[in-house]
Amino acid sequence: MKAATNLQDLPTKKSSSGRAWKTLKNQKYLWMMSIPFVIWVFVFSYLPLWGWTMAFQKYKPAKGFFEQDWVGFDHFKTLFADETFFLALRNTLVMSGMGLVAGFIFPITFAILLNEVRLGFFKRFAQTISYLPHFVSWVVAAGIVTKMLSGDNGLINDMLLGLGFIETPIQFMAQGHLFWGIVTLSDVWKETGWNAIIYLAAIAGIGPELYEAARVDGASRLRQVWHITLPGIRPTIIVLLIMSIGNLLNIGFEKQFLLGNNLVTDYSQVLDLYSLKYGLGMGRYSFGTAINIFNSVISVILLFTINGIFKRTTKESLL
Amino acid sequence: MMSSKRSSKTKASAWLLVSTLMLSMLAGCGGNNAANTGNTTDTNTNTANSGTNTEKEDLTPVTFSFFSADPSPNWTGMQDETGKVITEKTGVTLDAEFAVGDPAQKVALIASSGEYPDLISAKADISKMVDAGAMVDLTELIDKYAPNIKKVLGEDNLKRARYSNEDKAIYAIPTYSAVDQQYFNAGGGFELQHRAVKEAGYPPIKTVKDYENVIKSYLDKHPTDENGNKNIGLTLNADDWMMYITVTNPAFTTTGSPDDGEYAIDVDTQEVTYHFRRPEEKEYFRWLNHMNDIGLLDPESFVQKTDQYKSKIATGRVIGLIDQDWSYGDGEKALKTAGKFDQGYGHYPVTLSEEYKETSFWPTGFMAGNGVGISTDCEDPIRAIKFLDYLASDEGQVLLNWGIEGKQYNVENGKRVIPEDVNNRIVNDATNFAKETGIGLYNLLSVHYGDGVKDSTDNYYTTKFPEQISSQFNAVEKETLAAYKVDTWRGLFPKEDEFKVKPWGAAWNIPVPGESEIVVLDNKLKDITWKRIPEAILSKPAEFDKIWDAYMADLEKADVEKAEDLREELVKERVKLWTE
Repeated sequence: MKAATNLQDLPTKKSSSGRAWKTLKNQKYLWMMSIPFVIWVFVFSYLPLWGWTMAFQKYKPAKGFFEQDWVGFDHFKTLFADETFFLALRNTLVMSGMGLVAGFIFPITFAILLNEVRLGFFKRFAQTISYLPHFVSWVVAAGIVTKMLSGDNGLINDMLLGLGFIETPIQFMAQGHLFWGIVTLSDVWKETGWNAIIYLAAIAGIGPELYEAARVDGASRLRQVWHITLPGIRPTIIVLLIMSIGNLLNIGFEKQFLLGNNLVTDYSQVLDLYSLKYGLGMGRYSFGTAINIFNSVISVILLFTINGIFKRTTKESLL
Repeated sequence: MMSSKRSSKTKASAWLLVSTLMLSMLAGCGGNNAANTGNTTDTNTNTANSGTNTEKEDLTPVTFSFFSADPSPNWTGMQDETGKVITEKTGVTLDAEFAVGDPAQKVALIASSGEYPDLISAKADISKMVDAGAMVDLTELIDKYAPNIKKVLGEDNLKRARYSNEDKAIYAIPTYSAVDQQYFNAGGGFELQHRAVKEAGYPPIKTVKDYENVIKSYLDKHPTDENGNKNIGLTLNADDWMMYITVTNPAFTTTGSPDDGEYAIDVDTQEVTYHFRRPEEKEYFRWLNHMNDIGLLDPESFVQKTDQYKSKIATGRVIGLIDQDWSYGDGEKALKTAGKFDQGYGHYPVTLSEEYKETSFWPTGFMAGNGVGISTDCEDPIRAIKFLDYLASDEGQVLLNWGIEGKQYNVENGKRVIPEDVNNRIVNDATNFAKETGIGLYNLLSVHYGDGVKDSTDNYYTTKFPEQISSQFNAVEKETLAAYKVDTWRGLFPKEDEFKVKPWGAAWNIPVPGESEIVVLDNKLKDITWKRIPEAILSKPAEFDKIWDAYMADLEKADVEKAEDLREELVKERVKLWTE
């Protein structure tokens, strides 16, 4: 990411057009190699934006573009008048937020701990085991989670019963207020190992001479982590953080769809599920598009805000 | 590096790299195009052929794409025995796609994509396709090219297949309902394990109290199974739409109202009520609440997924169910395979109290509506309708139901008979049997006669007739049936002529125009109901009334009355369309 921006910065900085032309010529292979990807991004990310016009029409599949009825902001009005929408928005934000916090604390801690392990074999073993669940699809993972938490011979309940903490099995999946926690924890279980990989790579990039110097100065291992490892991976953390905040509303719906049930809908309904059920599922193409526009606009605002904040405070930024 | 050192070698390799990238991109797009053109030319030649070849039946191989809103897990792409015969007789191969998950979303996608399969069976979502102008009016095609379809349906039923009062076209031939169907067996009602009723001494099981007593007395004596796992009194399956089947529909079948989806409709005045607003149903749910209170209801009822539900049944620990045999059948099959026949289930017509009649068999008349239609993208609608017509012919119907003579059935003294070994496979190895023979896979493709109708050779069209059904019961089932002095479970249920035929068929079968407000209203009401009903059932009995009142208030806030009025209009339209 960094390298690419630098290359493109070069010609503009020198401002003389002849010079820019020369650089362009020098880098012609790089340019040519990037063309397919530019086209790819254009075709798959920008062309579909044309479909946004649907949100302002009473879209019917059979009609051509010019035959559609234009209704202005009607669909947005319906959207903002719907209580379910705000419920879905709240659930999305809360689960996203919880996922975001857990999704940073756990992998970073795990990566640091793993890095401190001296035993090479154990380190590799632990790493492999921890990222295996990432490759299990949510359908299977949700099955495992519900089975574990089941009141009918579920592992967790059997354990609690055996230890005498409870007398009757707890119906974990039936309680709305536990749902957010269950989703977040299953996400932690599934993704911690995988997400730790990038931090491990970043840690590996820190020069060993820093640690040696610190040891000479008498720093303990905790001190080394605090003063060298963490600052060393700060740019990585910030870039990843900014990107995840841009995706705050796009948390998908697999987890909520697969783990949820009718007893917990007040906590499990998320925006993507809402747009699927109340948009496409009912043939309300325009309404569904309106929800997605709302999603995208909020995401862009979030992305720029957080990027701006980081730019000011830490001088690290994406854009 | 590249710019500083320009040896011809690096240059060449760079060009190579760039051109491969470009090529691979082009190939990505091109692959699709090639496939598309391949398709069109294929169908084009076929149209040309059928044009020149009108005299004799055109059997040049043709492939029709087909979409069905119902899953068909045993589909083998017509490579089964029946499928091969169909292809041989008609030249048609189906390239079929079956909906997975919610068909409404898939149909919406098909409608908006503008690329329609040749044949479409979209059930009630057909309105989305019609709104998109994607369906061909079949009236003329049927008249000209489909003598068998016309014969099977007859004038009256064909009239019922028309879309609406405003648009009297036929967009789908009604393939889901069987003509003149008689029900010889029952698969619904309330279910109890044979061992439980046996131990109770085969008492009459008419009301929810009778049902409860059987479960209770059995559980009192046998709280756990032989491995020490708890036996379960009654379990429900509330996973997605199964909620209707095991939780909410029984509320009206037990209280004397027929199945009209989420609405109760007065058979004389056609007045529509959202069925949960009937006071009787509140009492039904109060009974479920009571079942939960005394520990007979599985606490996981509203949490478990369908696969967990089925595997629970397969353990044999569940004494009672409120379900349909096609839904819990997989679980019961496992029990039968393991030889635990006494843990299988019988069907009982349970009602809330003696004054009600169980309404599972309330007659609807011939229910046109759901079925197969031809899309505007179909290159050769005549071949397509002829294909469907073949399936509706006597030859076709016997093939789809019975299979191939000499293989799946024999003719002895003019009677079609299923040999013992084949019958065994039908009962005990149903999945593989269906995959190999294809029997049962094609029935929903065209119009057909129902159980109990005989053809010109005095044989039944279908394989479901009293003698055949009896021969498929196992010893324990026969024992239970004998104890209740009936031949099949159907014998326990009220007769069809005890009810007045509903002139609108069934409300769930009336297509809703895509723009109607009902769609959104219904979904809102459903969300409220699916949340509130489990809450009410699982609450403390003292709080039940409070939650129920809150539920009723929620419904009113969500404009339930408007939904009822709109639905009433639709029902009245339907009656007008069908009786004029």
